Order: sequence, then structure tokens, then C-alpha cells
Amino acid sequence: MSKGQSKQEEINKTIRAEDNWEPIGPTSMPEMSDLRRWDMRLLKTYKPFYAPFCDLCCFCTYGKCDLTGDNKGACGINISGQQGRWALMFALMGCSAHGAHARHLIDYLIEKHGENHKIDLGGQVAVEAPHIRTVMGLKPETLGDLKKAIEYVEKGIIHGVSATHFGQEGNELDFESKSLHIGMLDHVAMEAADIAQTIGFKFPTSVAETPLAALGWGAVDKSKPVVTCVGHNAAVATVMIDYFMKAGTYDQVEVTGICCTAIDNTRYSDKTKIIGPLSKQLFFLKTGIADLIITDEQCVRCDIPDLARASGSALIATSDKISYGLDDVTHKEIDEIVRMITQEGKQVLIRDVDKAGEVAAKVLPIVAKGRKKEIVTKEKATELADACKKCMLCDRVCPNLLDISGAVSEVKEGKFEKMADLFAKCIGCGKCEQECAKGVPIITIMQAAASWDTFNIRVGRGPIHDVEIRKVGAPIVLGTIPGIIAIVGCSNYPEEIEEIAEIAEEFAKRKYIVVLSGCAAMAAGMKKDAEGKTIYDKFKPDFDAGGVLNVGSCVANAHITGAAMKVANIFAKLPLRANYEVIADYILNRVGAVGLAWGAYSQKAFSIGTGCNRLGIPVVLGPHSAKYRRLYLSRKEEDDWTVMDGRKRELINTEEPSPEHLSIVVESKERAIITMAKLCIRKNDTAQGRQLKLNHYISLYKQHMGSLPDDLQNFVRNDKDIPIVYKKEVVEYLKSVGWHPKPLLTLPTLIGTYESNIPIDAVVK
Amino acid sequence: MSIPLHHVNVLTGLKGCRVIEDPQALGKIIKKAERPLVVFGPRCLDIAMGEKLAVQYGVEIAKALGAAICATAHTKKKLLELGVVPDSAYDAVEIINHLKDPNWKGVKKQGNHDVVMFLGMRTDFGNQGLSTLKHYAPHLKTVTLCPYVYPHASFSLANLKADKWKEYLEILINSLN
Ligand code: SF4
Ligand code: SF4
Ligand code: SF4
Repeated sequence: MSKGQSKQEEINKTIRAEDNWEPIGPTSMPEMSDLRRWDMRLLKTYKPFYAPFCDLCCFCTYGKCDLTGDNKGACGINISGQQGRWALMFALMGCSAHGAHARHLIDYLIEKHGENHKIDLGGQVAVEAPHIRTVMGLKPETLGDLKKAIEYVEKGIIHGVSATHFGQEGNELDFESKSLHIGMLDHVAMEAADIAQTIGFKFPTSVAETPLAALGWGAVDKSKPVVTCVGHNAAVATVMIDYFMKAGTYDQVEVTGICCTAIDNTRYSDKTKIIGPLSKQLFFLKTGIADLIITDEQCVRCDIPDLARASGSALIATSDKISYGLDDVTHKEIDEIVRMITQEGKQVLIRDVDKAGEVAAKVLPIVAKGRKKEIVTKEKATELADACKKCMLCDRVCPNLLDISGAVSEVKEGKFEKMADLFAKCIGCGKCEQECAKGVPIITIMQAAASWDTFNIRVGRGPIHDVEIRKVGAPIVLGTIPGIIAIVGCSNYPEEIEEIAEIAEEFAKRKYIVVLSGCAAMAAGMKKDAEGKTIYDKFKPDFDAGGVLNVGSCVANAHITGAAMKVANIFAKLPLRANYEVIADYILNRVGAVGLAWGAYSQKAFSIGTGCNRLGIPVVLGPHSAKYRRLYLSRKEEDDWTVMDGRKRELINTEEPSPEHLSIVVESKERAIITMAKLCIRKNDTAQGRQLKLNHYISLYKQHMGSLPDDLQNFVRNDKDIPIVYKKEVVEYLKSVGWHPKPLLTLPTLIGTYESNIPIDAVVK
Repeated sequence: MSIPLHHVNVLTGLKGCRVIEDPQALGKIIKKAERPLVVFGPRCLDIAMGEKLAVQYGVEIAKALGAAICATAHTKKKLLELGVVPDSAYDAVEIINHLKDPNWKGVKKQGNHDVVMFLGMRTDFGNQGLSTLKHYAPHLKTVTLCPYVYPHASFSLANLKADKWKEYLEILINSLN
């Protein structure tokens, strides 16, 4: 339904339309199809590419329906429609996870501080919430305003879910448009969550050089009582840490975490330690080093109660999303719960943040008493491997296609090199162990092969500073900073975890801006050079050429996309307010930012990536992400690369596929690096900027592919774009392929290339 | 139905590959191709098969058939070192995206390919790409040359041990020459 007057009045009230911080743009609080024309324009160039994982649909009782080839389901849907529906469902799951997380945090913090608690992100961050400003048209001032943002996201989700029902949407492009919408809402939700926790828990903000925190399972002092928080919501840990501090016992315990809760714990107290990313969850919990496990939400294993029991760790679940069938003791007195855990050995669910935090603090020293925490020795591991018959069943179930049987048989002979290599590539699913009929405890054996070194990570710093944007805005848009490389997402890595540090370093050395978050930020810290330095020791933590910075947990990803929006606003002076299409168009054509989600596995990562795509930011994914079954690819030679020259008001066929794809899977690290360098190219690059970008593209291509790029002709507009060092060979090459100079642009935009309410004037500043 | 070596690739559907146990029979199938293409993935750079690498077997097959070569991932470098100039260096999903279009000009600009052979991809990634072609490119046949069952291919090898695979490829190459 289109918006009626009363609906518009309601929106105006929500966004305080009378506040005149910026003029209100055309799309305040857009509904599911309000930005459909922008989506369709994107999808015209970047068409959905589907790789069905299942040929069948089993969504309703008409099914199963075989959708192979031209077949339709009993409802009339075809294979593309079904893939589009999957995409929308993934986006919805991801957005909901962040939205519900934000909702938990905001509700809790409103209880604590009240709705009117002010948003203040420090002196360096005036544009506090670029997503909420741009998408909704609201300049949030309080926790209550963040609640409004989440209510808006929640409304969007209900319509999205509805569209996936039998007999609703059937067209793949419309499913994609809805996915893009939900992806956009996800960034609103993440932004609201991270701002709420930053102001509510006093996380660092407006500081670039945050402290370094300890990283790695080897960093944990297991002689102390150890609590390990698993998941994404640090609320309980903050209460627990406060309790320890008040009791003067904080230095007698080890507060550790896995996944994003760990990252956010370090933002609350840099004395907490990060065990590692999701892929090390099973490994670490099986060591039994944790005396107490606290689970909250997202990316938490479903079998933690079993694992905790087997390792002798106590368990407190704290989220209504992961209740494990445990007794809900929320209503009981604290002392009674402590007794149940320490004397009856009960695993419990406590859905009250303050109570859970206090109980955890009280039980930790008790449950830790007398526990032996011994790591498996090489001798013991050899003994454990002895039962292996090299049947290779483990190899067949490994989702990372690893040679487990080879590694186990070497351990049998007392050799650990292959096992160490296996551990570095293992994504920690435990399927091998489950499959082994001989009961070889493969993950436990890994303890003897793993490195127990200590690493470090820069504590997540939250939003990029306005002053940093002011400094780098021009070089980014002109291309003289070759790009923003955002390395994000989960740890479903195809090869060694160290690849993340290697990719980050490659770009930092080349003076790109490297921004990290979540599990990728941890993985980047897990490699040391010959001098024992991690990437966080070696590179400055500024949002500037050659900087390497960690914004924080998954929800802090909104600050990375937010930085691109701030470039449009702070540098280019485009108003953000309810002006999504213009901002996305600006980013697509002028901000050389690219995301890498090398180990993306979750629906959240899918949704984040889809949100990046609507905003004009391309994303490179690792090979596992082929199982997401949807990409957005162009065909460089065949597609139409016409844009509007905003100043001349002429349509110009640039013949330049930049950025070439919006979402692409590549198979190897080398190819990922080359692809990212290429995807930083934008039509707005000056000759100087383009030279620099091509210089990196050519040098990386030569290094990994052994020749000049075979699509170089697409990106050289005229002689001035050719990097001096490669001039001679590039000129020769261009001649050999019949290259001709391309038209020059003054202001590239897609506005004006499709039907839209946006006047071209809106992009010319 | 043959179960793929890696269970992640188990078919959830009805239309699966034909496993060709006899290399000479596969030779007959691929010889019929008018515009064959061999797509190289990065794993063929690391697999040693006696004196040679898997990539070299792929090159021999391509040469025997006069097939076009597409180097995906970072395989181009090794191919150049072996003295083979690939006809294209798309990434895997890019070449697959092109192959979907029956009117595409092909890597040699002589028309789209009719038989596409794959060698050296991760099996999970490769099977996903083959799924795209199974659903969206009915105009071509896909063949996998790795020692694994690829359910989404038109023609696949069986799950083979290293020595059997080497033997298979050698007989196949002989049958082409
Ligand atoms: S939703 Fe449609 S395709 Fe799926 S099972 Fe039902 S009728 Fe078949
Ligand atoms: S499944 Fe067990 S017995 Fe078989 S190879 Fe693997 S570890 Fe050995
Ligand atoms: S736990 Fe590791 S080695 Fe075992 S199946 Fe999973 S990824 Fe493979």
C-alpha cells in the first residue's frame, strides 16, 4: 500500500520532521518496495547468479517439488524464484538476529538508564548514526530514539517474512529487492545495537588508539578460575566484571570469551581475553579450561550443555534464543541458583542480565575449585590416535574437505606436523569425531598439535571519526587512497586462518585503509612475523592510508558502511536525511570500498553483505559462500555500463565495468586479493587515482597470475590512467587488443539512467 | 545413485550425474565436442601424480581435444610457466555465468562451448557451479575430471584412489590421441 496522509504524519512524528538539521529527502522510513526502482537498476547490471544447493523445495505439504530445469512447483514457483526466496529468508534470519540482539540491549539499557539517556559518541563523532539518519530520516538523540529504529526494523521484518509464505512473491528479482531492503535494515539494527552498547556500557569511542588485548587460547591463565562467554551479547559479562571489580577479585579470575561477546568484553575491560573466533569454540570448550561457560546469543553451538557436561564445566544460558531445554531459574533467589549450580551441578537458564551476571560471579570461584585442567600431551595424543584404522570416513564428512585420516595416522606414529596443519584449517564443526566408529577423539588430539602462543588484537574502537573522514574523504573519492578494504565476517575459512592476516597486511602495506570486525578481526591478530609482531603491532590504528583498525563486533560493521556514508555527507556535503538512493549511488560510483567475508557462513553475514550491496559496496566471499546459492554478477563485456554525467546531463557509455560485481565468490586467497584490488576501481577516479589503483591491480595480478591483467583495457580510460612503471608494456598490450580511449566523465551517477523521483540535481553538489 | 566422496555434495534432487567408469567411454563422449573447454581450478596445482602435476594432465587433455582453456583462481601463472597460454582467465563463477548464455561468444569468440570439463576445483565449490550449469545451461554438457563423484555434472568420474585416477586419466588421454 502506498503511504497515506496519516501514515506520513506518523513517520513525521517518529523522525521529528520539524527538526531542521537537514532537509528531509524523498524516502523517510522506506517500506519494502519504496526503493525497488533502485534495486531493479542495480539488478539490471548485477544480475542474480544462482547455484541451487537443493533441487527440491519442501516448504509446504504440496511438496516435495522437483524444481530442476524448467519444472515448477505445485505452487507455480520456479528454481530461480525458490533461490530468491532462500536469499530473502537468509537475509531475514540475519537481520532478525541483529535486530533481536539490538532489542535486548536497548530494552535492558532503557531499564537501566531510561529512555532519555543521551547518545554521545565523544568529540570526534558528530554524525553519530549515518544509517539511521539516511534510512529513517531520524537524527537519534537518546536510547528511546534507538528503540524507534528497532521498531522500524521489526516492522520491516514482518513484511519480509510474509513474502516468503506459500502463494506470495514468486519472482526472483522481487525477492532480491526485498532481500536488499532487509539487508539495509540490518545495518540500521546493527548501528542501533552498537551505539546502544557504546553509550550504555561506556565502550571506547572517539579514540583511535585503543589498547591491545590478549588473544588466543594460549593467553588464558588456567591456574585461575576461568569463565568463558560465548556468543554476541556482552551485557551479562559487564555485570559480572563489575561484581568482580567491586569485590576486589577481578585479578584473581580470567574473564574470557569466544566470538563477538569476547570482542565486546574487551571494549568494556581490556583485561578480558579473547580465545578466538567461532571456529575454535568446540576445540576450546573440549579442553575443559573453562570452569564456567556463559552462553548468550548467535553462533553458539547447540550442544554446549553436552560439551560442558563432558568437560566438567558449569553452564549458565542467558538468552531466550538459546534455552537448551534447561530449567528457567530466572524467578529464583540468587543464593538458591548458586546452590543449584554448585551443589546440584545443574545447568540453568537465567533470563535476567543482572541476576545472571551476579550468579556467574558468585559461582565461578566455587566451581573452579579443585578442577584439573590438563592439556593433552603428545604422548597421550599418540595413544588416543592408536585406534585409527584409516577408514577415511572422517574425511568424507569434513565440510572443509580436509585430510583428517592422514593427520591422525601420522599422530599414531608420533608425528604432529600434519595435525598442526589440519588444526590451522579446521573450522571446528566436530563432524569428523562424530563419524569415527573407532571413537578417535580427533578434536582432543588437536590440543597436542595446536600452537599455544599468545597474540593480540586492537580493542574495537566503534565509529570512524568525522575528522578522519574529513581528512581521507577527498583522497578516497579521487582515488589517491586506493581503497577501503573491510575484512569482516565469520571463520568458515577455506584454508589456514592465517590467510586473513596475510590479506590484511598485503593491503595495509599498499596503503589501503584496512578495517576489520568480528571474527575476522581476531583471525587477523593470529599471525606473528619473525619479530613476534601481529598486524596490530605493525600498523597504525587510524582510518587513513595504511591503517589497520578494528571497529568491534559484528554489529560494529555498521560503522564501516557508515564511514562510506559519512564520506558522502561530510566530504561531499550530500544530505543523509531520508536520502538513501542518492547516498548509495554516490558510494557505488565514487567510494572505492570493498568488503571481504572470507569465512562467511552465517545468515547474518549474508544479510550484512546484502546490505552492503544495496549501498553500492561490493563484497568478495570465500568458496564456502557458494553455498549461500546467490551472487550478484555482471558480465563485463556484455553489460551496459552507461551512466549519467551529472554535470553535463548526458548519458555516457563508459564501457567500464566498475565495480565489476556486487557479490562474488572466489576460490583462492590470491584471487581474492586481485579481485578486491580491482573492485576498488570507481568511475569517479581521477587520472592520478586511477593510475594508483591500476598500479596495485597490475602488480598484484602479475605477482599471482604471471602476466598483465587480461581485462586491463576495460579500466584504462586514456593515456593518463596508465601507471608510469608499467607504461611501456601496458601501451604495447593495449595496442595488441585494439584498445581505444574512453569518454571522460565529470560526475558519474546512475540517477537519470532509470525511472526515479530523484532529480539529477540531487547528486550534484 | 553414486554417493559423492564428500558428503557436503550429496544430491538433494532427482537429476544426477552419469558416472563413467570407463575412461575410453568418456573419451568418446568428449571427442564429439565441437567447441570443448577445459576449466582449471587451483587444486590441480598442488596434486602431484607421479612425475607430473594434475594440471599437466588437464593440459594434455585440452591439447588432445584442441579445447579452449580457462584458468580460474590463480592457475594462470602455473599454466604460463608450463608454456600454456590460457584462452581466458575468468574466475570460476564468471566463466559459469557466461556459459549459462547459449548466445555467448565463448572464450575463443567462436561461439559458446558445448562440452565443458572441470579439473581441480574444491569439490563443494565445483559442485555448486555445476548446479548452476545443470539448472541454467541445458545447452551444454559438463564433465568433471577429478577423482570424485560430482552429482551436478552431466558426466563424472567415480570416487577413485590416487593410483586409479592416474591410470584413468592416462587411458583417457591415450584414447584421445
Ligand atoms: S512451496 Fe511450492 S515448490 Fe515448495 S513444496 Fe510447496 S508447492 Fe512445492
Ligand atoms: S574415521 Fe576414525 S578410524 Fe577412520 S580414519 Fe578417521 S580417525 Fe581414523
Ligand atoms: S572438526 Fe575440523 S577436521 Fe573435523 S570435520 Fe570439522 S572441519 Fe573437518
